[in-house]
Amino acid sequence: MHPQLQKLVLLQDIEANIKEAEEQASELKEMGFNLDGMAQLKEKAEAMSKELDHRHLGYYRRLTKRFGHAVVPVIDNLCTGCFANIPASFVSATNENLLQKCESCGRILYWP
Amino acid sequence: MDIAEVLKHTSPDLFLPELQATDKAGVLAELVEGLVTGTPTITKPDAVLQMLESREALGSTAVGPGVAFPHGRTLAVQKLTVLIARSSAGVDFDSMDGEKTHLFFVLIAPPQDSGHKYIKSLAALTDALQDDARRQGLRDADDYDAFCAVLGGE
Repeated sequence: MHPQLQKLVLLQDIEANIKEAEEQASELKEMGFNLDGMAQLKEKAEAMSKELDHRHLGYYRRLTKRFGHAVVPVIDNLCTGCFANIPASFVSATNENLLQKCESCGRILYWP
Repeated sequence: MDIAEVLKHTSPDLFLPELQATDKAGVLAELVEGLVTGTPTITKPDAVLQMLESREALGSTAVGPGVAFPHGRTLAVQKLTVLIARSSAGVDFDSMDGEKTHLFFVLIAPPQDSGHKYIKSLAALTDALQDDARRQGLRDADDYDAFCAVLGGE
């Protein structure tokens, strides 16, 4: 996997969990979960974003703002963001080191 | 959501009756290994482990007496998946009461999860695990079927 994609996936996972913890805070606290480490988790996300290439981070931020999720999994050869077909050539070994984008919606593609 | 509904997201392949690890980092790694072994569609264990580790930074998920619920969302899974594990000796999982953790319920879900199935499953489990007798029954259960029967309140 492209090293920048690996970092983007982790950043998106951390940010998704921050968002959920904030949106569901009262329910999670009622279940007994302690969310006191929110500042620490945000620092972790910030540190991760600093490890990203400026260009990639900017693109990720624009997509997140537009779609909610910048990185989407490809399942059954479909972009799960817009359901456009992803050509088989995208997964070829020659593309291992490229950051792949959906030709239809522009989201960053991830093969889980 | 009731426990029977939650149990639809697990299977005997996602049941680890006796964990070998003796510390928190080791348990998280073993839980992820169990997820990968029991779920052929999970192929990126590192992504799952990093997500669970970062979730623990928010606050320990060992919230019940002797019970932890490591959970979170990750792109590395395609559907809500629940893994169950036990440790007879117990593990220091940074629990709120300072006691050792014996039961682990791991819930991981993809970023898009319509209907908040994952949060509802977490709520059903945390609620069911409040019961002292049920927790003891789960620790004593002989196998996966017995464990599910106790968890379901049978």
